[in-house]
This record gives sequence, C-alpha cells and structure tokens, in this order.
Amino acid sequence: MAGEHPMTLSDAPQGVPERPPGAAFRGPETASRSLQERLAGHFFRLCAALAALAAAAVAVTLASETALFFAQVSPVRFFTELAWTPVAEEPRFGVLPLLAATAQITAGAAVVAFPLGLLTAIYLEYYSDPRADGILSAALVVLAAIPTVVYGYVALDFVTPALRNIWPSIEAYNGISACLVVGIMILPTVTLLSRSALKAVPPSLVDAGLALGASPVRILVRGILPAASRGIAAALALAVARAAGETMIVTLAAGNQARLTWSPLEGLRTLTAYIAQASMGDAPAGTLEYRALFAVATVLFAFTFAVHALGGWLAGGRARQGSVRQ
Amino acid sequence: MKAFRHQGAIAGVCSLAAGVTLAAGMTLLAVLLVQARGVLDFGFLLGAPSRFAAQAGVGPALAGTLWLTLLTAALACPVGVGAAVYFEEYAPRTRATRAIESAITTLAGVPPVVFGVAGLALFVRGLGLGPTVLAGGLTLAMLALPTVLATSKEAIRQVPSGVRTAAYALGATRWEVIRRQVLPAAAPAIVTGVTLALARTAGAAAPLLVIGAASFINYAPGTPGDPLTALPTQVFAWSARSQPGFAAVAASAAVVLLAVLLLLHLVSLALRRRLSKAAR
Repeated sequence: MAGEHPMTLSDAPQGVPERPPGAAFRGPETASRSLQERLAGHFFRLCAALAALAAAAVAVTLASETALFFAQVSPVRFFTELAWTPVAEEPRFGVLPLLAATAQITAGAAVVAFPLGLLTAIYLEYYSDPRADGILSAALVVLAAIPTVVYGYVALDFVTPALRNIWPSIEAYNGISACLVVGIMILPTVTLLSRSALKAVPPSLVDAGLALGASPVRILVRGILPAASRGIAAALALAVARAAGETMIVTLAAGNQARLTWSPLEGLRTLTAYIAQASMGDAPAGTLEYRALFAVATVLFAFTFAVHALGGWLAGGRARQGSVRQ
Repeated sequence: MKAFRHQGAIAGVCSLAAGVTLAAGMTLLAVLLVQARGVLDFGFLLGAPSRFAAQAGVGPALAGTLWLTLLTAALACPVGVGAAVYFEEYAPRTRATRAIESAITTLAGVPPVVFGVAGLALFVRGLGLGPTVLAGGLTLAMLALPTVLATSKEAIRQVPSGVRTAAYALGATRWEVIRRQVLPAAAPAIVTGVTLALARTAGAAAPLLVIGAASFINYAPGTPGDPLTALPTQVFAWSARSQPGFAAVAASAAVVLLAVLLLLHLVSLALRRRLSKAAR
C-alpha cells in the first residue's frame, strides 16, 4: 500500500481541520455508540442553551423593569434632577447624586491604586529577587482572594477610626475611607495586569537602552512605559470597572445619604450602595421604588460595560500592535 | 528579567510602593486576627446569632454558605463546562454563535450586585421562591456561570489540536474524543477556573443581600427551601451594628469565611494534582 501511494509532504493536508471530518473516518458504527454520541451532543447543546438563556434572562429582566420605570419617570428628570429620595412623600428620582458618588469613589480608588500598583509592578518585573517576588505575589493573591465584605469591615472598623484620630472632623461614614480601601481592593488587579503588560515589552528595548548608557529612569519613562501604555491603560480600565461595581465596602464605609458633595470627609451613597440597601427593605414588586432598583442597576451595568469595552479594546489593540511588531 | 540593579531614586520609589502593598495585605490580616482573638472557638462555630455579642455564633451562616457553594457548584459547573464544550467542539464558527459567546462572557464583568437584582426579579419574585437558600444558589450560579464558561473554554482551547486529529484518525467519535482526550487534558485548568468562580461566589455578600438574606436565623438550613443565611451577609450585618462587642464578632465571622475559602482552594489543589497525574 505504502509503495503504491507514497505520501509526500506536499500531499499532506495544509493545516488542521477545525471540525472533525465526517463519518468517513469513524470506527465501526454500533447502536450504543451512536446513541451515546447523540445523547452527548444533545447534552452539550442543552448546556449552551441554558447558559444563553441565563444571560438573556438577566438582560431581559433588567431591560423590562427599567422600561416600566421610565414609563413613569421621564429619563430627562432621571438624569437632571439633583435629589434621590425614592421613599419621600413626593419621591424624586435624580440619579446624579448616586452617579457622582460612584464616580468620586472610583476616581479616588484609582488615585490610590494606580501609582501604587504600577510602581509595584515595575518593582516586581525589574528589581525584585525571586524571594521578594514570591512574598509579594503571595500578598497580592491574598488581597485578591479576600471577599469585599471583609474589606468593608476593615474600612469601617479600622481605617475610619484611624483616620478620625488624625483628622477628628471626619464623619463616621465618609468617602475617603471607602476610596482608600476600594483602592487596596483593586490593587491586585492593577498590579498583576500592569505586570503582564510590562512582560510583553520586548527585552531588546531595555538592552538597547542600557547599551546606549541610558539611566533606568530614562529607559522606563521613554522606552518601557510608552511601549506598555495600552496594556497599562487596559489594566486601569478593568480595575476601574471593578471599583465602580464594588458594593460592600461603600455600603459599610460611605454610608447611605444620597447627596452631592465634594468633601471626601462626608458620607455619600453610590449606585451600588443604594441597590444593596434599598432592596433590604424589601420593596414590594410593581412599585416605583422597586423599579427604581432596576433603573439604577441598568445605569451601573451600562457604566461598567462601557469601561470594560474600553479596556478590551485597549488590550486587543495591544495584541494587534504586538503581532505587527513581531 | 531583572535588568536594573538596585540603583537610583526610582528603585527606592518602586520598593517603597511594593512595601506599601505588602503592608496593606499584612495589616488587613492582622486587624482581623487581633479582633477575632478570644471570640473564635468551637462555641462560635456552632452557635447561632444572638442579640448579645458574647453569645453570637456563625453555625447557621456557615451551614448556609456550605449549602450555597454546593448548589452553585451543582448548577454552574455542568452547565458552564458543558456549554464550553459545545462552543469549542460542536458549534459552527458563525457570527451568531460568536455573538452569543461574547454576550455570555461579557456578563463575567458585570458587578455581582446586578445579578442580585436580576435574581430578585427572576427567582425570589418570578418563581416565587422567596428569600430561600435555593433562590440564593440559583442567583450565585448565574454569577458563577460566565466565569466557569470563559475559563473552561480557554482550558479546552489549550488542548493541542493534534490530540484531536490523532484521535479522530484512529476512528474515535466526537464524544469519545471529548471524553477520553479533550476533557482529561483540560481538567486541571477547568478545575482552576471553577475554583476561582466558586471562591468569588462563596464570598459574595451583595447579591445575597439584595435578594433578602436574613441576618438573624437561629437554626441551620436543612433543605434548599429554608430561609437564606450566609457567612458574607452575616459579616455585613455584624459589621453594621454599632454596639460594642459586635466588631469582634464580625471579625471572627470574617476569619471563618476566609478559612472556608482557604479550604476550597486546598481541595481544588489536591484535585488538580490528581487530575494532572491521571492525564499523564
């Protein structure tokens, strides 16, 4: 056989077929074998359908209740009014105080986490010895594994009292404690993702810099950071999305007063804290107060989705850039 | 690559940042352990919540978290891994399937509290389950599903395509290839992803709070129809109380929660060891 049709390299199929070839290659067809085959196919298809159904159910529920909410409250008032008092005599549904609080806490957390995370990533990638690397990486894994409610406890019971010792005018519920602790919570995300962005920078860049006699600072600022900037920005975007969606720390530490304030020393209420606290008082289904939960959840969903999409686009752009360079 | 020796101001700044990061982690654990000292004992592990800090225990909450983790695993693992197999091994590479896949994995980035709101409408109100352990398990399963799916897909994609082609060439059917080759090879990575998702859901307080977890259940849930109570929401309830003594109780419950998560990771590690030995 082999003599009649000698296989040569050029006869071999180019590339691997992505899907299994048809029945032609199969072994002997038996009844139990084909039954198993069909059952397995049905099972996997069912799983995929269930997963798609779950995703669709989340989206449809949010969308339909939000639509019912906006049938009663005009979107213009929702986005322009400056007060959020859903259970008052004359309820007002202005989402801006909640949105502003989320933006403030998120920005504050980013201010804490971004420099700390990026510098730690630089340390890990360019300075640490294996032992320090191991200890720091373990600390980051621990920080990443701690549930956010535990961070919330530490914010309320340790960070706020510590801050009040330094700065007695701080309220018991305040923005600054939440900012600090949310910042620590997203620190592992910023550090680990920034580090992989730094890892993707070709070592030849560093070698070239060193060969030219550039100082480490110069190589970092002019060479490495610009090359890794998209990846670092993607890391920051993902961390910001996590900070904006963070619920337990802000619910415990920042309090539940929906107000517009610039002072980090006062309490404020984020989108997530409103959702967590309002639903605890189990608003009956069908009321405007109940539907307000879904409207706020949709705003939160849209915000994190946009930030995630931005991060994904930045990360994708980096991958494309990398492949062109190689 | 450690290109730069310790030199210059930048080295100092970077080591300082690394030190702060390390200190933050240590402080967090130290605060918890110092506060929990003296409260955490067997009576606390088995006892029920109480109005009096000195008598409070986490028994029901601990049982609730174990129930929730089992339910989440039982619901999210088969569906998530099965769907990953479908998308990687069966589904035609069309624009529609790719859109469905990306829609599901997008949910992995949605804040957990949003799943709570969806769970409230779908399970607590929609199916009329009320704030029960089952409603909590279903909600957490929805939260875990996108992560399980995304990590399982990645794990299956890492199996070299040569393995599949070789098996098909020997006459194996698609199911035989999946069962004998693809799944065993991908199993350790799938377990890692599942552990990640389960640890995330076991520590999630926000969605359970939204669907109405109680903070004062004095008996351990025996069936999925019993009222919902869990460790993370118990930590929240105790943290929010201002009476003296409850801070220590909250810290102790937090330590128990961390111990549960550690146990989960250890079980996963042991399982992964066995699976990668079996695959070889």
